Amino acid sequence: MNKHLLTSMCIMACGLQVVNAQQIPIAGKITDQNGTPLSGVTVSIKGTNVAVTSNANGLFTLNADQNATLIVSSIGYVSQEIKVSGRKTVNVSLSSTDQELDEVIVVAYGTAKKSTFTGSAANINYAKDAKDVPVTSFQDALTGRVPGVQINSTSGQAGSTTSIRIRGIGSMNASNEPLYVIDGVPIVSGQVSQMSGYTYNTNNVMNTINPNDIESITILKDAAASSLYGSRAANGVVLITTKKGKTGAPKISFKSSLAISPDWATDNYEKADIQDQINTLYSVLYDSRIAAGRTPEQANEQTLMRLNSRNWTPGTSYGTANTGYGFGIHGYEFSTEGTSMFEHVTIKGKTDGVENRDGKYFNWDDVFFRTGKYNVNDISFSGATEKTNYFTSLGYTTDKSRTVLNDYERINGRFNFTQKLSPILDFGVNLAIANTELSGFNDTRNTSTNYLFQSRNLFWDFYWPTDYKSGNTWTTRYNSYAQNQVYYNNEWENGTGTRRLSASPSLTLNLLPELNLKTIFSYDQTTSRDHLYYSANHYTGANDMGIVHEMNTDLRKLVSSTTANYTKSFGLHNLGVLAGFEAEKNTTDFMRTTGKDIPNSQLPTVATAGNLDAQAYAWGNSIMSALSRVEYNFDEKYFASASYRTDGSSKLSPENRWGNFWSIAGSWNLAKENFIVNIPSINALRLRSSYGVNGTLPSDNFAWRALVTYGNKYMQRPGGGLGNSPNPNLTWENNYSTNIALEFGLFKNKLFGTVEYYNRDSKDLLQDVPQSMITGFGSSVRNVGQINNKGVEILLGSDIINKQDLKWTLSVNAASLSSKVIKLNGGAEEEIIWNDPTGGDARSRYIYKEGQSTLAFYGIEWAGTDQTNGKNVWYINDGTAGDFEFNGRGATYTYTKAQRVIIGNGIPKFTGGINSNLEYKDFSLGLNFVYKIGGELYDAANRDVADDGYYWERIHSQDFVDNTWTPEKGSGYYPMISGRDLEDVNQISSRHLNPADFLRLKNVSLSYNIPSNVLKSAKISNARLFFNGSNLLTFSKFKLADPEVNQYSTRGWETPIAKTYTFGIDFSF
Amino acid sequence: MKNKILTSCLFVALTFSSCSDFLDVKPTNSADASTQTITTVADANVIIRGLMSKMASGNYYGRNFMLYADTKGGDYTITSQGRGYDYLYVFNHSETSNNYSSIWSQGYNCIAHINDLLVQIENLKAAGSSENFDTVIGQALTARALIYFDLVRLYGKPFNMDKNSFGVPITLTPLSSDAKLTRSSVNEVYTQILKDLKDAEPLITKPTNASTLANTNGFLNYFGNKAIQARVYLYMEDFENALAAAEEVIAFSQYKLYTNDTWVSSWSKQFGSESVFELAIYPNEGDLGNSSLGAYTRRRGNPNNTIAAGYFTSSTSFLARLNEDAQDVRKGIMTTDELSTTANPRHGAIYKYSGSVGLDGDGKGNSTAVNIKVIRLSEVYLIASEAALRKASPDLTKAVNYLNQIRKRSPNLTPASNASINIDLIDAERSKELIGEGHRFFDMMRWNKTINFDDALASVSTIHRAASIDRTFHKTILPIPLAEVNANGEIFSQQNPGYRN
Repeated sequence: MNKHLLTSMCIMACGLQVVNAQQIPIAGKITDQNGTPLSGVTVSIKGTNVAVTSNANGLFTLNADQNATLIVSSIGYVSQEIKVSGRKTVNVSLSSTDQELDEVIVVAYGTAKKSTFTGSAANINYAKDAKDVPVTSFQDALTGRVPGVQINSTSGQAGSTTSIRIRGIGSMNASNEPLYVIDGVPIVSGQVSQMSGYTYNTNNVMNTINPNDIESITILKDAAASSLYGSRAANGVVLITTKKGKTGAPKISFKSSLAISPDWATDNYEKADIQDQINTLYSVLYDSRIAAGRTPEQANEQTLMRLNSRNWTPGTSYGTANTGYGFGIHGYEFSTEGTSMFEHVTIKGKTDGVENRDGKYFNWDDVFFRTGKYNVNDISFSGATEKTNYFTSLGYTTDKSRTVLNDYERINGRFNFTQKLSPILDFGVNLAIANTELSGFNDTRNTSTNYLFQSRNLFWDFYWPTDYKSGNTWTTRYNSYAQNQVYYNNEWENGTGTRRLSASPSLTLNLLPELNLKTIFSYDQTTSRDHLYYSANHYTGANDMGIVHEMNTDLRKLVSSTTANYTKSFGLHNLGVLAGFEAEKNTTDFMRTTGKDIPNSQLPTVATAGNLDAQAYAWGNSIMSALSRVEYNFDEKYFASASYRTDGSSKLSPENRWGNFWSIAGSWNLAKENFIVNIPSINALRLRSSYGVNGTLPSDNFAWRALVTYGNKYMQRPGGGLGNSPNPNLTWENNYSTNIALEFGLFKNKLFGTVEYYNRDSKDLLQDVPQSMITGFGSSVRNVGQINNKGVEILLGSDIINKQDLKWTLSVNAASLSSKVIKLNGGAEEEIIWNDPTGGDARSRYIYKEGQSTLAFYGIEWAGTDQTNGKNVWYINDGTAGDFEFNGRGATYTYTKAQRVIIGNGIPKFTGGINSNLEYKDFSLGLNFVYKIGGELYDAANRDVADDGYYWERIHSQDFVDNTWTPEKGSGYYPMISGRDLEDVNQISSRHLNPADFLRLKNVSLSYNIPSNVLKSAKISNARLFFNGSNLLTFSKFKLADPEVNQYSTRGWETPIAKTYTFGIDFSF
Repeated sequence: MKNKILTSCLFVALTFSSCSDFLDVKPTNSADASTQTITTVADANVIIRGLMSKMASGNYYGRNFMLYADTKGGDYTITSQGRGYDYLYVFNHSETSNNYSSIWSQGYNCIAHINDLLVQIENLKAAGSSENFDTVIGQALTARALIYFDLVRLYGKPFNMDKNSFGVPITLTPLSSDAKLTRSSVNEVYTQILKDLKDAEPLITKPTNASTLANTNGFLNYFGNKAIQARVYLYMEDFENALAAAEEVIAFSQYKLYTNDTWVSSWSKQFGSESVFELAIYPNEGDLGNSSLGAYTRRRGNPNNTIAAGYFTSSTSFLARLNEDAQDVRKGIMTTDELSTTANPRHGAIYKYSGSVGLDGDGKGNSTAVNIKVIRLSEVYLIASEAALRKASPDLTKAVNYLNQIRKRSPNLTPASNASINIDLIDAERSKELIGEGHRFFDMMRWNKTINFDDALASVSTIHRAASIDRTFHKTILPIPLAEVNANGEIFSQQNPGYRN
């Protein structure tokens, strides 16, 4: 401290700042809002380098000009500027940042006061608002909290990561994900592991980040806020700030919680009861016999033979008894009274085995599902002095999802550190390490690994894990590609271990009070190691006598960023200038070894294998950029800013490589105008607007260049061939964004909010466009045209009650969205038809056509079921009268005659959330609702369980059985079941479209702060008990499964999300 | 202090090298097609190997094409519906469902591969390369002819039915990604096929002895070209030329028909004395394991119950034909199928692509990595026989002679004679000899014969075709796949008849 006094005196002596100084000694005390003294708070004199810190009792002294302004600042508290005005005692009470309306938010390459920021940025105080939500990846906890930000969590798989869409849809080709920036450094996001080439999986590297390390999140929405990130900013930017130490005594915090998920959030294609199932299968098989020309008696007999199979002696049979299928081999016998298509099938147990299964069925759900358990333990140490600030944490998280074999485990460490090296040089480093282990991928329509699909469509309760005759383990596959999972679950393994290490050292050089230089160098290494094994007993591994793949994907991201920041006030004119350059290099190394012929199922390793195969290669991309920004305001009343960035990327050809991105913005703080100041009911009123351009790069690294690949080995020698359909003209997708917003606070914040309009034109839209296969390839990346997203975002809130002991804040947010194709390069006639890229099963199809929605479902139009005969009816839609008239329109029973048209729109009209926060003394209760209004969802899973007539052993849903047309009822939503090999249900059609509206109570959190007088004896400074309930209530028109769907508004057989109950404690001392 | 600033400057500088290099990032598993691919014949042969590998893909010769031709020809049947690919058997295909588009995409991918290779060679020649690329060009042209021949058989009407109807689009040059070609007529496609084959004839390697022949194992050679010509002429009913081409292959001394003793074991060996064109399937290359061609015709559950498979078996009529002679050597590659019982044995399961009924494979230690015999000498004999019989002035002696070389594999049947020979004998012989090898359906189409399906065996019911069909049935040609129609509006109005109404 003495040294600093010396330094400051030295500077003063040089006469840099103080001329005609009339120095007076000043002393004071600094406390927090509760009156507790704060140590380590920096008190500096504005416009000088003079600074002191408060001592353990919060006291400080210094000499200053009697007209000087003191700046009182401390991390974690809102800075204050105080005019000395001749006083010799200045006592200051600081309020912590999380209590302040006008918070300091992190923005591109710096920070800004929310009230003066000209761009559109939403700030979430994660450590306050979302900390108790049990999520492995932080995005889930943001749902419903920010207008215009759609968070789609569709999979309940452990370790799965949700997607964020900011202000609608941009490019379908690029990842469509926002850019994630942690503590000023762009980071790796998305899928790193290459396992998807072998088994479908979701494993986003974002789940390596510990949500408990996050202090706050800023979502940059408009061009003014995000264009400084140039070519990667078009889909928005998410800035994550991790925790820092707070001035004061070192603090140790501990947090532990346990969550359980005993049930799903909603029903999921619940299967029909066993009697309905067998009756339905009987009818389908019976009908197929009738179709083959049999008499009712023959059809009945053959159907029963098929159901019974083994040991069942047909009478005067037609055809050959087949022991390969049927339920007789599992110990059941079936009979009917009559011989019609709709008979009650009597089920009886057989007595010729060791077990009589009469009236007993096997519950496969007990094999597939369990009570999910999610456990988090975090410990952190943090502290700060005037020179040093540190935060270090260690976290351990385990997530055992509702489906068996699906486990996630994470160990996290973080070390954030800053140190003043000299009065003008600061050094900082953020270090993070993570190790995650994820196993049990089974998230798409796969007959052998998707447990939900299996439980709802494939696994009859007639199947047992043991043979009723002998009691031995059942090892043969069941029909419909089902297999005894009790046995098979031990015959394969899959998993990915991800290790991540990131280090970002930085140096800040405060050359002048107005000018600083900052350089950050970041090294982010993510290594994913995949393991996939099938034993020789598993049908997948049988042919190779056991097979194991070991894959290693090593992604290195190097970022170097250097910026100079100049801020200066000239009277009421305030100026800020930023300039910098940045370079980024991403390299991925991939290696795979495969071993076949595994001698010992206990040793599923490549080392023991008899036959080896390997692969190794690398790819990557680089970006180089220069960036600048100018900000100006007059008296914090009128604001203007402009930014400019130029990016060069290796993902485009040398001719198209460089792109320019810029923005301009202005705002007007009406509340400071005299004509408003006098209106007491208005606390805040501000108008701001911006316009700018940012861009999107293709996701493919090499789409612009023609490649010859060597993946076609032949006779153990290399084979090469054309690898792609290149597009040398590929260029940036450019987004032109306009933003206009009004912010207000009325009646002492009894009502506050923001109304914001945005318009975003994406030109040269990047799209992986299906192309004529005659070219040799199915698709290529092209710039296809222009789409527009626009909407209004509204946030309304009220501090309904704001008393010492009772506080209640309620806020509602809503965003409207219109997303349309404006222009296609091929003109008004052009149609670009593309498939849903998610799930790997081309589950839905869309069309780009000028003037239409960007998520326009394209297929044939189902008119419903003809109530006179139970047949599927399709609108013809080709301008003709069709085969007959139905509901006044031309229709047909033959789907191939129906013309494909736009059948629906996946874009919702409104999305948003409702948040309520009630605090009473030491209790607080938070409610977080999320909703969606309008738009349709395409349900690609129901077709499997509501099939009109699949004659193999597949289960139908209760919904189908209850609502199918029968001659007896003469009515029904679904057509009459049939054994005639219909493909109607498998067409992409409006039969599978459903309203997407829903309202969900996403989170309820209740917490209790244990009073400090209770804690004092235990030397605990802070302790809290909390409960959180996730997904407890859902209201929707779509009842079959979870209405919360992915960004393409489709649902397949993703693992559903669960209801989760979390209990936890955190305390610090 | 100064040191600290210096250090930080260094720290910044470290991250940069040269600017232009920094933004030029190349993958390490592929080469820039325009600059790095071919300069020598050895380089070009790498691309030819890539082509053979693509032709051996499961989407084409490795499985789908072969299955298509056999499952629809009446010699195969199914034992149960719903197992997969039975839509081929019951003809349940439409523009949108089960449209088997992978043959279309793989075929044209191979053609694009060939066209690109040919252009690159042109460019090298234009730049003054002294390398002799003749054998490469010869193989590329011959392969292109074969692929167009396969595509036009799948998507167009038989040549002798309506050669002016739509065939398939023809491209001989690399296309840009937005190209939208329309269909040429069947006749134009055949004209192009013959042109490619004739252009290739003087360029392609012509083996002269055992060693030069062995060098072409796994690739197309002069006799492969000739055998394809024989096939193409046969489909065009130009029997003089078919006979001449076939006889040139037969005359080459290194090709020898298998004897009755060696016929069965020939399936467990690569590149036998009958292999005119054989595509290699190796483990870790084109081997499809459980979903390989061989697995589709084995007995269900063989070798163990964990493999579902067992999709197709022989029809009752085929078995009756083969059992005309209980000692027919070709029964040795067949064994009991899943319908077989001790009381009623049924040897319907076909093991040609499993090496042997004991699943020996063809010598690569794996029962599914078995080479695809695309053209065998036996087929060339049968072409010669049929051409000799059907040409304008029939040569009965030749027809009888060529047929009997194959017919003697049924040792107890009376050999054909000038008096007894007719097309039905050749039909039966082709059926017995070539089952599973991708011929039956196309033969029935060009002969304009009725195909009778053995639906009775497993009480198969279908609304998608009748129990008997002939080539007037619209589903005997595949629909242009929806993905093509969607991406290529020009072809929308050229969809094959019957698929949109």
